[in-house]
Amino acid sequence: MRRLLDRLLFATCGATALLVCALLIGVVFVIAQRGAPAMSWTFLTEQIRQVGAQGGIFFNLVGTVILITTALVVCTPVAIGLALLERVYVRSERWRRSLGVFLYTLNGLPSIVFGIFGFIVFVKWLGWGKSWLSGGILLGMMILPTVTVALIERMKALPSRYVQAAAALGLKQSQIIWSVILPQTRSGLLTGSLLGMARAAGETAPIMFTATIFAGATQPHGVKESPVLSLPYHIFILAQDSFDPAVGAKLWGAALVLLALVLLLSGIALPGRLKMHEEANV
Amino acid sequence: MSDPLPSSSKCGPQPATKPVLEVRDLAVHANGKPLLCHARFDVHAGQVFGIIGPSGAGKSTLLRALNRLTDLIPGLRVTGDVRLRGEPIYAPGADVDALRARIGMLFQQPVVFPASVAENVLFGARHLRRLSRSEKHELVESALREAALWDEVRDRLCASALTLSVGQQQRLCLARTLAVQPEVILMDEPTSALDPKSTQAIEELILRLKERHTIVLVTHNIAQARRVTDWLACVCIRDGAGEIVESACCDSVLGNPQCREVIEYLSHSA
Repeated sequence: MRRLLDRLLFATCGATALLVCALLIGVVFVIAQRGAPAMSWTFLTEQIRQVGAQGGIFFNLVGTVILITTALVVCTPVAIGLALLERVYVRSERWRRSLGVFLYTLNGLPSIVFGIFGFIVFVKWLGWGKSWLSGGILLGMMILPTVTVALIERMKALPSRYVQAAAALGLKQSQIIWSVILPQTRSGLLTGSLLGMARAAGETAPIMFTATIFAGATQPHGVKESPVLSLPYHIFILAQDSFDPAVGAKLWGAALVLLALVLLLSGIALPGRLKMHEEANV
Repeated sequence: MSDPLPSSSKCGPQPATKPVLEVRDLAVHANGKPLLCHARFDVHAGQVFGIIGPSGAGKSTLLRALNRLTDLIPGLRVTGDVRLRGEPIYAPGADVDALRARIGMLFQQPVVFPASVAENVLFGARHLRRLSRSEKHELVESALREAALWDEVRDRLCASALTLSVGQQQRLCLARTLAVQPEVILMDEPTSALDPKSTQAIEELILRLKERHTIVLVTHNIAQARRVTDWLACVCIRDGAGEIVESACCDSVLGNPQCREVIEYLSHSA
Protein backbone atom coordinates (compact mmCIF):
# COMPACT_ATOMS: atom_id res chain seq x y z
CA MET A 1 0.00 0.00 0.00
CA ARG A 2 2.72 2.44 0.98
CA ARG A 3 4.70 1.56 -2.10
CA LEU A 4 1.66 2.19 -4.18
CA LEU A 5 1.21 5.61 -2.60
CA ASP A 6 4.87 6.33 -3.22
CA ARG A 7 4.53 5.49 -6.87
CA LEU A 8 1.30 7.42 -7.16
CA LEU A 9 3.00 10.49 -5.74
CA PHE A 10 5.91 10.09 -8.12
CA ALA A 11 3.55 9.65 -11.04
CA THR A 12 1.58 12.77 -10.08
CA CYS A 13 4.74 14.84 -9.78
CA GLY A 14 6.00 13.50 -13.07
CA ALA A 15 2.67 14.30 -14.72
CA THR A 16 2.80 17.92 -13.55
CA ALA A 17 6.30 18.23 -15.00
CA LEU A 18 5.08 16.82 -18.28
CA LEU A 19 2.13 19.18 -18.22
CA VAL A 20 4.40 22.19 -17.83
CA CYS A 21 6.62 21.04 -20.67
CA ALA A 22 3.61 20.32 -22.85
CA LEU A 23 2.21 23.79 -22.16
CA LEU A 24 5.44 25.48 -23.18
CA ILE A 25 5.88 23.32 -26.25
CA GLY A 26 2.23 23.82 -27.17
CA VAL A 27 2.44 27.60 -26.97
CA VAL A 28 5.64 27.69 -28.96
CA PHE A 29 4.23 25.29 -31.53
CA VAL A 30 0.96 27.15 -32.07
CA ILE A 31 2.63 30.53 -32.35
CA ALA A 32 5.36 29.20 -34.63
CA GLN A 33 2.82 27.53 -36.88
CA ARG A 34 0.60 30.58 -37.16
CA GLY A 35 3.42 33.09 -37.27
CA ALA A 36 5.73 31.37 -39.75
CA PRO A 37 3.81 32.43 -42.90
CA ALA A 38 4.25 36.11 -42.01
CA MET A 39 7.95 35.68 -41.42
CA SER A 40 10.29 37.14 -43.99
CA TRP A 41 13.25 39.42 -44.12
CA THR A 42 11.08 42.37 -45.11
CA PHE A 43 8.76 41.69 -42.17
CA LEU A 44 11.68 42.39 -39.85
CA THR A 45 13.11 45.32 -41.78
CA GLU A 46 10.08 47.23 -43.03
CA GLN A 47 7.94 49.80 -41.29
CA ILE A 48 4.34 49.23 -40.37
CA ARG A 49 1.96 50.07 -43.25
CA GLN A 50 -1.83 50.21 -43.63
CA VAL A 51 -2.58 49.92 -39.93
CA GLY A 52 -0.64 46.70 -39.57
CA ALA A 53 -2.13 44.84 -42.51
CA GLN A 54 0.96 45.49 -44.59
CA GLY A 55 4.62 46.08 -43.98
CA GLY A 56 6.70 44.87 -41.09
CA ILE A 57 7.58 45.48 -37.51
CA PHE A 58 11.04 47.06 -37.75
CA PHE A 59 10.35 50.04 -35.51
CA ASN A 60 8.36 47.90 -33.10
CA LEU A 61 11.41 45.74 -32.64
CA VAL A 62 13.63 48.81 -32.32
CA GLY A 63 11.24 50.32 -29.77
CA THR A 64 11.14 47.17 -27.67
CA VAL A 65 14.93 46.92 -27.71
CA ILE A 66 15.16 50.59 -26.66
CA LEU A 67 12.68 50.01 -23.83
CA ILE A 68 14.33 46.90 -22.42
CA THR A 69 17.83 48.33 -22.75
CA THR A 70 16.76 51.47 -20.90
CA ALA A 71 15.12 49.27 -18.28
CA LEU A 72 18.37 47.39 -17.82
CA VAL A 73 20.50 50.53 -17.60
CA VAL A 74 18.12 51.98 -15.02
CA CYS A 75 17.81 48.80 -13.02
CA THR A 76 21.38 47.45 -12.92
CA PRO A 77 23.03 50.02 -10.62
CA VAL A 78 20.11 49.89 -8.20
CA ALA A 79 20.12 46.09 -8.24
CA ILE A 80 23.86 45.97 -7.53
CA GLY A 81 23.40 48.44 -4.70
CA LEU A 82 20.54 46.49 -3.16
CA ALA A 83 22.33 43.16 -3.49
CA LEU A 84 25.47 44.55 -1.83
CA LEU A 85 23.33 46.07 0.88
CA GLU A 86 21.66 42.74 1.53
CA ARG A 87 24.82 40.62 1.42
CA VAL A 88 27.55 42.90 2.76
CA TYR A 89 26.26 45.83 4.71
CA VAL A 90 23.08 44.71 6.46
CA ARG A 91 24.21 42.59 9.38
CA SER A 92 20.90 42.16 11.18
CA GLU A 93 18.72 39.31 10.04
CA ARG A 94 15.57 41.38 10.60
CA TRP A 95 16.57 44.12 8.20
CA ARG A 96 17.68 41.56 5.68
CA ARG A 97 14.28 39.90 5.84
CA SER A 98 12.54 43.27 5.50
CA LEU A 99 14.52 43.92 2.34
CA GLY A 100 13.45 40.52 1.02
CA VAL A 101 9.80 41.27 1.78
CA PHE A 102 10.16 44.60 -0.01
CA LEU A 103 11.59 42.92 -3.09
CA TYR A 104 8.92 40.23 -3.22
CA THR A 105 6.17 42.81 -2.74
CA LEU A 106 7.59 44.92 -5.55
CA ASN A 107 7.74 41.78 -7.67
CA GLY A 108 4.09 41.09 -6.92
CA LEU A 109 2.77 44.53 -7.83
CA PRO A 110 0.43 44.29 -10.81
CA SER A 111 1.97 45.73 -13.92
CA ILE A 112 -1.04 47.95 -14.55
CA VAL A 113 -0.29 49.66 -11.23
CA PHE A 114 3.16 50.54 -12.54
CA GLY A 115 1.47 51.85 -15.66
CA ILE A 116 -0.86 54.13 -13.72
CA PHE A 117 1.97 55.26 -11.46
CA GLY A 118 4.07 56.12 -14.50
CA PHE A 119 1.18 57.92 -16.12
CA ILE A 120 0.70 60.12 -13.06
CA VAL A 121 4.39 60.78 -12.37
CA PHE A 122 6.11 60.88 -15.75
CA VAL A 123 3.39 61.68 -18.25
CA LYS A 124 1.46 64.21 -16.17
CA TRP A 125 3.54 65.47 -13.30
CA LEU A 126 6.90 65.67 -15.06
CA GLY A 127 5.11 66.53 -18.27
CA TRP A 128 7.06 64.11 -20.45
CA GLY A 129 3.96 62.97 -22.32
CA LYS A 130 4.46 59.55 -23.83
CA SER A 131 8.18 58.89 -23.75
CA TRP A 132 10.46 55.91 -24.18
CA LEU A 133 12.29 57.01 -21.04
CA SER A 134 9.29 56.72 -18.75
CA GLY A 135 8.57 53.28 -20.18
CA GLY A 136 12.17 52.24 -19.66
CA ILE A 137 12.19 53.48 -16.07
CA LEU A 138 8.92 51.71 -15.29
CA LEU A 139 10.10 48.46 -16.81
CA GLY A 140 13.36 48.89 -14.88
CA MET A 141 11.36 49.18 -11.65
CA MET A 142 9.41 46.07 -12.59
CA ILE A 143 12.43 43.90 -13.25
CA LEU A 144 14.41 45.24 -10.29
CA PRO A 145 13.38 42.32 -8.00
CA THR A 146 14.30 39.71 -10.62
CA VAL A 147 17.75 41.13 -11.23
CA THR A 148 18.40 41.82 -7.54
CA VAL A 149 17.35 38.37 -6.37
CA ALA A 150 19.46 36.68 -9.07
CA LEU A 151 22.45 38.73 -7.96
CA ILE A 152 21.84 38.02 -4.27
CA GLU A 153 21.60 34.29 -4.97
CA ARG A 154 24.87 34.42 -6.87
CA MET A 155 26.54 36.34 -4.05
CA LYS A 156 25.27 33.78 -1.53
CA ALA A 157 26.88 31.06 -3.64
CA LEU A 158 30.24 32.86 -3.58
CA PRO A 159 32.33 30.83 -1.12
CA SER A 160 33.14 32.88 1.96
CA ARG A 161 36.78 31.83 1.75
CA TYR A 162 37.33 34.35 -1.04
CA VAL A 163 36.10 37.21 1.08
CA GLN A 164 38.08 35.95 4.07
CA ALA A 165 41.26 35.62 2.03
CA ALA A 166 40.89 39.12 0.65
CA ALA A 167 40.12 40.53 4.10
CA ALA A 168 43.15 38.71 5.53
CA LEU A 169 45.33 40.62 3.05
CA GLY A 170 44.13 43.89 4.52
CA LEU A 171 41.73 44.91 1.77
CA LYS A 172 39.06 47.40 2.72
CA GLN A 173 35.38 46.53 2.38
CA SER A 174 35.08 48.60 -0.80
CA GLN A 175 38.17 46.96 -2.29
CA ILE A 176 36.77 43.51 -1.50
CA ILE A 177 33.54 44.47 -3.24
CA TRP A 178 35.34 45.75 -6.34
CA SER A 179 37.97 43.08 -6.69
CA VAL A 180 36.30 39.98 -5.28
CA ILE A 181 32.53 40.15 -4.96
CA LEU A 182 31.55 41.99 -8.15
CA PRO A 183 33.93 40.23 -10.57
CA GLN A 184 32.94 36.83 -9.24
CA THR A 185 29.22 37.50 -9.41
CA ARG A 186 29.17 38.91 -12.93
CA SER A 187 27.45 35.78 -14.18
CA GLY A 188 24.61 36.34 -11.72
CA LEU A 189 24.20 39.91 -12.90
CA LEU A 190 24.17 38.76 -16.51
CA THR A 191 21.67 36.00 -15.83
CA GLY A 192 19.38 38.24 -13.83
CA SER A 193 19.59 40.99 -16.43
CA LEU A 194 18.69 38.68 -19.28
CA LEU A 195 15.76 37.19 -17.38
CA GLY A 196 14.63 40.68 -16.43
CA MET A 197 14.90 41.88 -20.02
CA ALA A 198 12.97 38.84 -21.19
CA ARG A 199 10.20 39.75 -18.78
CA ALA A 200 10.28 43.44 -19.65
CA ALA A 201 10.09 42.69 -23.36
CA GLY A 202 6.63 41.19 -23.01
CA GLU A 203 5.04 43.71 -20.66
CA THR A 204 2.26 45.81 -22.11
CA ALA A 205 0.45 47.42 -19.21
CA PRO A 206 3.29 49.60 -17.88
CA ILE A 207 4.06 51.08 -21.29
CA MET A 208 0.69 51.45 -22.92
CA PHE A 209 -0.16 54.81 -21.31
CA THR A 210 3.37 56.00 -20.82
CA ALA A 211 5.72 55.10 -23.62
CA THR A 212 4.31 53.44 -26.66
CA ILE A 213 1.92 54.19 -29.47
CA PHE A 214 0.59 52.02 -32.26
CA ALA A 215 1.90 53.78 -35.31
CA GLY A 216 3.70 56.87 -36.45
CA ALA A 217 6.83 56.75 -34.36
CA THR A 218 10.33 55.88 -35.46
CA GLN A 219 13.40 56.27 -33.29
CA PRO A 220 13.08 58.78 -30.42
CA HIS A 221 14.77 62.18 -30.73
CA GLY A 222 14.47 63.41 -27.18
CA VAL A 223 12.71 62.67 -23.96
CA LYS A 224 9.52 64.75 -24.02
CA GLU A 225 6.73 63.57 -26.31
CA SER A 226 8.90 60.91 -27.89
CA PRO A 227 7.10 57.60 -27.81
CA VAL A 228 8.30 54.44 -29.49
CA LEU A 229 6.50 51.56 -31.13
CA SER A 230 6.74 48.24 -29.33
CA LEU A 231 5.99 44.60 -29.99
CA PRO A 232 3.61 43.81 -27.13
CA TYR A 233 1.47 46.91 -27.72
CA HIS A 234 1.44 46.15 -31.43
CA ILE A 235 0.16 42.66 -30.69
CA PHE A 236 -2.39 44.06 -28.25
CA ILE A 237 -3.85 46.49 -30.78
CA LEU A 238 -3.81 44.05 -33.70
CA ALA A 239 -5.45 41.37 -31.57
CA GLN A 240 -8.40 43.70 -30.98
CA ASP A 241 -8.73 44.20 -34.69
CA SER A 242 -7.82 40.84 -36.19
CA PHE A 243 -10.94 40.14 -38.22
CA ASP A 244 -8.97 41.07 -41.29
CA PRO A 245 -7.00 37.90 -42.19
CA ALA A 246 -4.05 39.99 -43.41
CA VAL A 247 -3.81 41.63 -40.00
CA GLY A 248 -4.14 38.21 -38.35
CA ALA A 249 -1.08 36.84 -40.11
CA LYS A 250 0.97 39.90 -39.14
CA LEU A 251 -0.27 39.57 -35.57
CA TRP A 252 0.97 35.99 -35.28
CA GLY A 253 4.21 37.01 -36.92
CA ALA A 254 4.77 39.75 -34.35
CA ALA A 255 3.94 37.31 -31.55
CA LEU A 256 6.47 34.85 -32.92
CA VAL A 257 9.17 37.52 -33.05
CA LEU A 258 8.43 38.55 -29.46
CA LEU A 259 8.46 34.94 -28.33
CA ALA A 260 11.74 34.34 -30.12
CA LEU A 261 13.23 37.42 -28.47
CA VAL A 262 12.14 36.30 -25.01
CA LEU A 263 13.30 32.71 -25.54
CA LEU A 264 16.59 33.99 -26.88
CA LEU A 265 17.17 36.15 -23.80
CA SER A 266 16.21 33.33 -21.42
CA GLY A 267 18.28 30.90 -23.47
CA ILE A 268 21.43 32.99 -23.21
CA ALA A 269 20.85 33.18 -19.47
CA LEU A 270 20.56 29.41 -19.13
CA PRO A 271 24.27 28.40 -18.98
CA GLY A 272 24.84 31.08 -16.34
CA ARG A 273 22.04 29.70 -14.20
CA LEU A 274 23.26 26.13 -14.48
CA LYS A 275 26.78 27.20 -13.59
CA MET A 276 25.51 29.08 -10.58
CA HIS A 277 23.86 25.96 -9.21
CA GLU A 278 26.94 23.88 -9.78
CA GLU A 279 29.07 26.28 -7.78
CA ALA A 280 26.50 26.45 -5.04
CA ASN A 281 26.75 22.70 -4.65
CA VAL A 282 30.48 22.73 -4.03
CA MET B 1 47.04 34.86 37.37
CA SER B 2 50.72 35.17 36.66
CA ASP B 3 51.31 31.78 35.11
CA PRO B 4 48.52 29.32 35.70
CA LEU B 5 49.70 26.88 33.08
CA PRO B 6 51.89 23.96 33.96
CA SER B 7 55.16 24.16 32.11
CA SER B 8 58.12 21.92 32.53
CA SER B 9 61.38 23.22 33.90
CA LYS B 10 63.11 21.82 30.82
CA CYS B 11 62.12 24.93 28.89
CA GLY B 12 64.42 27.85 28.73
CA PRO B 13 62.77 31.18 29.48
CA GLN B 14 60.91 32.96 26.71
CA PRO B 15 63.09 35.69 25.14
CA ALA B 16 63.41 38.83 27.24
CA THR B 17 62.39 41.07 24.35
CA LYS B 18 58.92 42.50 24.23
CA PRO B 19 56.57 40.01 22.57
CA VAL B 20 55.15 40.72 19.13
CA LEU B 21 51.74 39.41 20.10
CA GLU B 22 50.36 39.44 23.61
CA VAL B 23 47.11 37.66 24.23
CA ARG B 24 45.35 38.15 27.55
CA ASP B 25 42.07 36.64 28.68
CA LEU B 26 40.89 36.17 25.15
CA ALA B 27 37.44 34.60 24.93
CA VAL B 28 35.17 33.98 21.96
CA HIS B 29 31.45 33.43 22.25
CA ALA B 30 29.16 32.28 19.46
CA ASN B 31 25.61 33.53 20.05
CA GLY B 32 26.27 33.62 23.77
CA LYS B 33 27.81 30.16 23.97
CA PRO B 34 31.51 30.08 24.86
CA LEU B 35 33.80 28.59 22.21
CA LEU B 36 37.08 29.60 23.72
CA CYS B 37 38.01 30.93 27.15
CA HIS B 38 40.93 32.38 29.06
CA ALA B 39 43.45 32.27 26.23
CA ARG B 40 46.68 33.81 27.38
CA PHE B 41 50.04 33.63 25.65
CA ASP B 42 52.88 35.64 24.17
CA VAL B 43 54.39 35.22 20.75
CA HIS B 44 57.93 36.48 20.32
CA ALA B 45 59.70 37.72 17.25
CA GLY B 46 61.31 35.12 15.07
CA GLN B 47 59.38 32.34 16.74
CA VAL B 48 57.15 29.67 15.29
CA PHE B 49 54.34 29.47 17.79
CA GLY B 50 52.41 26.24 17.34
CA ILE B 51 48.83 25.58 18.38
CA ILE B 52 47.74 21.96 18.58
CA GLY B 53 44.70 20.23 19.95
CA PRO B 54 41.76 18.04 19.02
CA SER B 55 39.40 19.11 16.25
CA GLY B 56 36.63 21.41 17.33
CA ALA B 57 38.55 22.73 20.32
CA GLY B 58 38.72 26.21 18.81
CA LYS B 59 42.22 26.38 17.33
CA SER B 60 41.08 28.04 14.13
CA THR B 61 38.81 30.41 16.01
CA LEU B 62 41.70 31.39 18.24
CA LEU B 63 43.85 32.04 15.19
CA ARG B 64 41.16 34.13 13.48
CA ALA B 65 40.73 36.20 16.61
CA LEU B 66 44.34 37.33 16.22
CA ASN B 67 43.69 39.25 12.99
CA ARG B 68 40.03 39.93 13.70
CA LEU B 69 38.77 37.72 10.91
CA THR B 70 36.29 36.69 13.58
CA ASP B 71 34.57 40.02 12.80
CA LEU B 72 33.41 38.53 9.51
CA ILE B 73 31.58 35.63 11.10
CA PRO B 74 28.11 36.66 12.24
CA GLY B 75 27.29 35.88 15.85
CA LEU B 76 30.87 35.73 17.13
CA ARG B 77 31.84 37.99 20.00
CA VAL B 78 35.44 38.37 21.07
CA THR B 79 36.44 39.71 24.48
CA GLY B 80 39.82 40.16 26.09
CA ASP B 81 42.96 41.86 24.97
CA VAL B 82 45.24 41.15 22.05
CA ARG B 83 48.19 43.46 21.47
CA LEU B 84 50.34 43.64 18.39
CA ARG B 85 53.62 45.27 19.41
CA GLY B 86 51.86 46.83 22.34
CA GLU B 87 48.89 48.21 20.42
CA PRO B 88 45.55 46.75 21.44
CA ILE B 89 43.90 45.41 18.27
CA TYR B 90 40.42 45.33 19.76
CA ALA B 91 40.56 48.94 20.90
CA PRO B 92 37.62 51.02 19.64
CA GLY B 93 38.63 52.77 16.44
CA ALA B 94 41.50 50.38 15.67
CA ASP B 95 42.07 50.15 11.93
CA VAL B 96 41.14 46.53 11.22
CA ASP B 97 42.24 46.58 7.57
CA ALA B 98 45.66 47.94 8.45
CA LEU B 99 45.91 45.33 11.19
CA ARG B 100 45.18 42.51 8.73
CA ALA B 101 47.86 43.82 6.40
CA ARG B 102 50.32 43.48 9.31
CA ILE B 103 49.07 40.02 10.27
CA GLY B 104 48.82 37.85 7.18
CA MET B 105 47.05 34.54 7.01
CA LEU B 106 47.38 31.25 5.19
CA PHE B 107 44.29 29.04 5.11
CA GLN B 108 43.78 25.31 5.23
CA GLN B 109 42.66 25.20 1.62
CA PRO B 110 44.61 27.42 -0.72
CA VAL B 111 42.34 30.26 -1.84
CA VAL B 112 43.53 31.51 -5.21
CA PHE B 113 41.50 34.04 -7.11
CA PRO B 114 40.44 33.25 -10.66
CA ALA B 115 43.16 35.41 -12.18
CA SER B 116 46.73 35.00 -13.36
CA VAL B 117 49.61 33.91 -11.13
CA ALA B 118 51.09 37.41 -11.15
CA GLU B 119 47.76 39.07 -10.37
CA ASN B 120 47.29 36.71 -7.47
CA VAL B 121 50.66 37.69 -6.02
CA LEU B 122 49.78 41.37 -6.31
CA PHE B 123 46.22 40.92 -5.12
CA GLY B 124 46.74 42.44 -1.70
CA ALA B 125 49.83 44.56 -2.27
CA ARG B 126 48.45 46.64 -5.13
CA HIS B 127 45.53 47.72 -2.99
CA LEU B 128 47.72 48.80 -0.14
CA ARG B 129 50.22 50.93 -1.98
CA ARG B 130 50.71 52.39 -5.43
CA LEU B 131 53.08 50.27 -7.49
CA SER B 132 54.80 51.19 -10.72
CA ARG B 133 55.06 48.61 -13.46
CA SER B 134 58.67 47.78 -12.61
CA GLU B 135 57.88 47.61 -8.90
CA LYS B 136 55.15 45.13 -9.69
CA HIS B 137 57.57 42.94 -11.63
CA GLU B 138 60.07 43.07 -8.81
CA LEU B 139 57.49 42.35 -6.17
CA VAL B 140 56.08 39.37 -8.08
CA GLU B 141 59.52 37.90 -8.47
CA SER B 142 60.72 38.53 -4.94
CA ALA B 143 57.52 37.24 -3.33
CA LEU B 144 57.49 34.12 -5.50
CA ARG B 145 61.18 33.53 -4.76
CA GLU B 146 60.54 33.91 -1.07
CA ALA B 147 57.73 31.37 -1.35
CA ALA B 148 60.00 28.98 -3.30
CA LEU B 149 57.70 29.02 -6.29
CA TRP B 150 59.55 31.27 -8.74
CA ASP B 151 61.42 28.53 -10.58
CA GLU B 152 58.23 26.58 -11.18
CA VAL B 153 56.07 29.45 -12.46
CA ARG B 154 58.49 31.99 -13.95
CA ASP B 155 57.32 31.06 -17.47
CA ARG B 156 53.62 31.07 -16.66
CA LEU B 157 53.11 34.25 -14.68
CA CYS B 158 50.22 35.18 -16.94
CA ALA B 159 48.61 31.74 -16.82
CA SER B 160 45.56 31.21 -14.64
CA ALA B 161 46.49 30.43 -11.08
CA LEU B 162 43.89 27.68 -11.11
CA THR B 163 46.14 25.62 -13.39
CA LEU B 164 48.70 25.22 -10.60
CA SER B 165 48.76 22.13 -8.41
CA VAL B 166 47.27 22.44 -4.93
CA GLY B 167 50.74 22.53 -3.37
CA GLN B 168 51.79 25.28 -5.76
CA GLN B 169 48.58 27.15 -5.06
CA GLN B 170 49.30 27.11 -1.35
CA ARG B 171 52.77 28.54 -1.96
CA LEU B 172 51.18 31.11 -4.25
CA CYS B 173 48.91 32.11 -1.37
CA LEU B 174 51.98 32.41 0.80
CA ALA B 175 53.67 34.59 -1.84
CA ARG B 176 50.56 36.78 -1.94
CA THR B 177 50.70 37.17 1.82
CA LEU B 178 54.43 37.87 1.77
CA ALA B 179 53.98 40.54 -0.90
CA VAL B 180 52.01 42.55 1.64
CA GLN B 181 55.05 42.31 3.97
CA PRO B 182 53.27 41.29 7.15
CA GLU B 183 55.01 41.13 10.50
CA VAL B 184 53.12 38.07 11.63
CA ILE B 185 51.82 35.20 9.52
CA LEU B 186 48.99 33.07 10.83
CA MET B 187 48.77 29.61 9.32
CA ASP B 188 45.67 27.48 9.75
CA GLU B 189 46.69 23.87 9.08
CA PRO B 190 48.42 25.01 5.90
CA THR B 191 49.52 21.54 4.84
CA SER B 192 46.48 19.44 5.66
CA ALA B 193 45.27 19.55 2.05
CA LEU B 194 48.71 18.90 0.58
CA ASP B 195 50.73 15.86 -0.48
CA PRO B 196 53.91 14.98 1.47
CA LYS B 197 56.25 16.71 -0.98
CA SER B 198 54.36 20.01 -0.89
CA THR B 199 54.06 19.66 2.88
CA GLN B 200 57.81 19.39 3.12
CA ALA B 201 58.20 22.46 0.92
CA ILE B 202 55.91 24.48 3.17
CA GLU B 203 57.68 23.28 6.31
CA GLU B 204 61.05 24.28 4.91
CA LEU B 205 59.57 27.66 4.06
CA ILE B 206 58.26 28.10 7.59
CA LEU B 207 61.72 27.46 9.01
CA ARG B 208 63.24 29.95 6.56
CA LEU B 209 60.55 32.59 7.01
CA LYS B 210 60.79 32.65 10.78
CA GLU B 211 64.04 34.58 10.55
CA ARG B 212 62.11 37.59 9.34
CA HIS B 213 58.52 36.91 10.32
CA THR B 214 56.75 35.72 13.38
CA ILE B 215 54.60 32.71 12.66
CA VAL B 216 51.61 31.28 14.47
CA LEU B 217 50.88 27.80 13.16
CA VAL B 218 47.80 25.74 13.86
CA THR B 219 48.48 22.11 13.06
CA HIS B 220 46.92 18.76 13.73
CA ASN B 221 50.11 17.03 12.78
CA ILE B 222 52.23 16.33 15.85
CA ALA B 223 55.27 15.38 13.80
CA GLN B 224 55.02 18.69 11.99
CA ALA B 225 54.74 20.54 15.28
CA ARG B 226 57.90 18.78 16.42
CA ARG B 227 59.74 19.66 13.22
CA VAL B 228 58.93 23.34 12.94
CA THR B 229 57.57 24.91 16.12
CA ASP B 230 59.53 26.51 18.90
CA TRP B 231 56.75 27.02 21.38
CA LEU B 232 53.54 25.05 21.62
CA ALA B 233 50.15 25.75 23.07
CA CYS B 234 47.68 22.91 23.34
CA VAL B 235 44.02 23.85 23.10
CA CYS B 236 41.63 21.32 24.61
CA ILE B 237 38.00 21.37 25.60
CA ARG B 238 37.42 21.97 29.27
CA ASP B 239 33.92 22.53 30.64
CA GLY B 240 32.48 22.75 27.16
CA ALA B 241 34.78 25.45 25.83
CA GLY B 242 38.24 25.46 24.33
CA GLU B 243 41.04 26.48 26.61
CA ILE B 244 44.82 26.57 26.39
CA VAL B 245 45.59 23.82 28.85
CA GLU B 246 49.33 23.71 28.36
CA SER B 247 51.81 26.08 26.85
CA ALA B 248 55.53 25.48 26.83
CA CYS B 249 58.46 24.92 24.55
CA CYS B 250 57.83 22.29 21.91
CA ASP B 251 60.02 19.54 23.40
CA SER B 252 58.45 19.91 26.77
CA VAL B 253 54.83 19.71 25.60
CA LEU B 254 55.46 16.79 23.31
CA GLY B 255 58.05 14.97 25.42
CA ASN B 256 56.77 15.55 28.89
CA PRO B 257 53.17 16.74 28.87
CA GLN B 258 51.79 17.69 32.27
CA CYS B 259 48.13 17.97 31.59
CA ARG B 260 45.73 15.01 31.43
CA GLU B 261 43.97 16.29 28.29
CA VAL B 262 47.25 16.78 26.47
CA ILE B 263 48.50 13.32 27.38
CA GLU B 264 45.26 11.86 26.11
CA TYR B 265 45.33 13.93 22.89
CA LEU B 266 48.95 13.00 22.16
CA SER B 267 48.32 9.31 22.78
CA HIS B 268 45.47 9.37 20.24
CA SER B 269 47.50 11.28 17.69
CA ALA B 270 50.63 9.17 17.91
